[in-house]
Amino acid sequence: MVSEPTADEDTGASSSGRRAFLASAGVGLSVATAGCLREFRSAVNRTRLEQLSVSITTQPADGDRQAIQIARRLADNLEAVGIDVSVPLRSREEFLRDILINHDFDIYVGRHPGDTDPDFLYETLHSRYGEEAGWQNPFGYANTIVDDLLETQRTTDGDQRQQAVGDLLDAVAAEQPFVPICRPTDVRLVRTDRFDGWHADALSTRIGYLDLEPVDDASTLRGTVIDARVSKNLNPISAEYRGKDPLVDLLYDSLATRDHEGTLIPWLATDWEWDGDALLVSLRRGHTFHDGEPVTAHDVAFTYRFLEDTSLGSSDVLAPTPRYRGAIAAVDSVDIESDHELRIGVTTGEAVAQRVLAVPILPRHRWEPRAEQATVRGVRIAQGTTEALITDNVPPVGSGPFEFHDRAEREHLTLERFGDHFTARDDVSLPSATVDRLRAQIDPRSPSAISLLETGDSDITMSPLEAYVYDDLEESAEKRVLETPSEGFYHVGFNTRSAPFANPYVRRAVARLIDEAWLVETVFEGYAEPLATPVADEWTPDSLVFEEADPVVPFFGEDGDLDVSAARSAFEAAGYRYDGDKLVVRE
Amino acid sequence: MLVEVLTRLALIVALMVVLGVGVFAGRQRLVRTVREWPTRVKAIAPITVLLATVLLFNSVARQAVPELSWLRLIRKEITWTIYETEGDLILWLQAQATPEVTAYFSFIYIYGYVFLLIFPVVVYFLLPNTRPLRELFTAYTLNYTLGLVCYILIIAYGPRNLEPELIQALLYDTYPQYQHLTRQVNRNTNVFPSLHTSLAATVAFQAYRTREIYFGWYLLTIPLALSVALSTMYLGIHWAIDVLAGIVLGWIAVVLAARLVGRWSIYDAFADAGGLEAIPGGNRLRSLFGRR
Repeated sequence: MVSEPTADEDTGASSSGRRAFLASAGVGLSVATAGCLREFRSAVNRTRLEQLSVSITTQPADGDRQAIQIARRLADNLEAVGIDVSVPLRSREEFLRDILINHDFDIYVGRHPGDTDPDFLYETLHSRYGEEAGWQNPFGYANTIVDDLLETQRTTDGDQRQQAVGDLLDAVAAEQPFVPICRPTDVRLVRTDRFDGWHADALSTRIGYLDLEPVDDASTLRGTVIDARVSKNLNPISAEYRGKDPLVDLLYDSLATRDHEGTLIPWLATDWEWDGDALLVSLRRGHTFHDGEPVTAHDVAFTYRFLEDTSLGSSDVLAPTPRYRGAIAAVDSVDIESDHELRIGVTTGEAVAQRVLAVPILPRHRWEPRAEQATVRGVRIAQGTTEALITDNVPPVGSGPFEFHDRAEREHLTLERFGDHFTARDDVSLPSATVDRLRAQIDPRSPSAISLLETGDSDITMSPLEAYVYDDLEESAEKRVLETPSEGFYHVGFNTRSAPFANPYVRRAVARLIDEAWLVETVFEGYAEPLATPVADEWTPDSLVFEEADPVVPFFGEDGDLDVSAARSAFEAAGYRYDGDKLVVRE
Repeated sequence: MLVEVLTRLALIVALMVVLGVGVFAGRQRLVRTVREWPTRVKAIAPITVLLATVLLFNSVARQAVPELSWLRLIRKEITWTIYETEGDLILWLQAQATPEVTAYFSFIYIYGYVFLLIFPVVVYFLLPNTRPLRELFTAYTLNYTLGLVCYILIIAYGPRNLEPELIQALLYDTYPQYQHLTRQVNRNTNVFPSLHTSLAATVAFQAYRTREIYFGWYLLTIPLALSVALSTMYLGIHWAIDVLAGIVLGWIAVVLAARLVGRWSIYDAFADAGGLEAIPGGNRLRSLFGRR
């Protein structure tokens, strides 16, 4: 954005040439000219001022209809304060590759997958992860105070932790490494004439698709998915292809899972104990992966080791997982006590340690060979790019309640019930698969997903619908609208690695160009909750509750109308200058 | 749903073609064609094979184009540049929307477009001289080839993708069933240039070149091609710049086709090739291909 001055060397060279010429001239003349030359050099060797220009990377409407609208409104306001703006559009995969892997952006607008526990901020903001790829610190943010607070909330429990989280959130809000915008309401449409027992709150997790009640012996659950990525790639740790994904959750088991109420319940683990600095985990016996291989403590231990470094030590640089990074970082040691018992030593308190239990368990025999460096003939691949990070993983082999059946790119993904899953056992009273087959049809637009459901060709819109169709949704005898607050949140991310967004005052000034409450009303049709901090309500300190406006960085203006002079003053206060209407910086 | 939409499309276009032939071509040409069709088919066979190959390759390649994102150095994303250049033209166009106009342009975008492409093939086939048809097929081939090159080099999203709240995806939101049809042939990054426009322009330019034979058809192509070009903008699918580029592409395709057609003959190549006699049946092959 701001290039380094290169003129120095050029003028340096020519002035030394001139010096040689002067040396041969009379001494008196040289004294008189030298001063003049010094002034000349001092005047010429200053870089010029140019208008600041930034880009806002986001997805086109087909990828994220809300994000592009937020980006354009922000672009309008940035232009109003004299900054030149462009809005590069990237498809879903490319967007995530640019932001999460290549860190190639100034500002981006997107949706963060979010989490129920505020510890997700650990990987999101810890300076240690600024160079890694994935949802770990894409901003390149580094602040020693925030790092300390992140550590403190990790190692404490109870009230102490509540206090630490509050302090952390206050510090983060003051710094604005990213601007939280809102938590949207997920709206889905379901039919109840073939299946009943829908749980609105669980439909973005595996639990939502278990224990459904078939009506009249219906055996195939047909859903629609807006995003075609799930038909292309089923890699549970892919940064570009995976967000919250109930389908991949159904293919893989984790040690524990959250039930309809959000309580952590035993899953692949029959139970676990906390002994102060480790989780003692017992696995279910006799369970197998979809290919018949047994699931043992060795697979679990392998998963934690593998996700920490997917090259398993063979690469010169560490190749950590782009997902589940914070959970993996909590693991200190894994001791296999027997085929079904493990001791997972952690560096955190009990609350954060439980995040470790949510990681998908990978079959060692399938993933160990993927620790090799990926190769493409004739192309030099970035170091630390292992096969595991880029594989499509089709067909996937997990141990979950459903197994892979078939897929066609951009058409569908079809799963089949895994009859040998432990939830199907008589002595296990966990939610289990009640349908033989689950077919996710790719339908890239909400109106046609709705029309498929209305004509009876689909039972559920698995992906949340886009805000602009909410007004047209109607309930009827066999059609129900399910609403639930999403875990994910919309935000504006800054690349804090370089100017101008390395400067927290600039980030705050930009944050004040965003009217969250008005965006919620217009872009989200009111189906969202404006945010000043990105955690669940029970973790939000009083100082960061969003009442009428953002408590820390309130919008300059009202109802989306920017008070331009107030906004410009903020940039001036941050040390920036205006040349006429343009905010200028050194070239 | 797709089968239903396709069947209706085939029926309506077939009806329009039959009507058109009755109006523009006349009975005599039909009678003569019944006598001469084998020679004509032979004459157009090579370019038809080429066009079919290109179309086939195109449908595969266009699916693959988005996967070429690693060609970062040469692929450019220019949506914002287009938007800053032309401003709110599309917005203004959509401000004129009424249900009737939307119905008209949706009809044009789907049915009118397909008719515009197929009808000249039929009426040119009814001519004893196969050159106009060979030129038309060559121009179609060039459209798809040059268009694909643009799609590989240039990524752009249409207006509805940049301003979804202002510019409606009128076609898909009003008639969701068509989405299943167009999804088969198009991807959302294939916007610059508008191939709808370039092919419509190609037909119109070629109709101009044959205006002495089919004057009525030539007169009809002008409003029809303009409607197709307008429909792509009105429906929020293309920018005005895509449409302009489409017209230029259509013009280039027709001019190039006029120069290229008749330059090489696959039949002559076979006739001149020696040694065919040595192969069993070679003579028969040569006499088959060697005839004009």
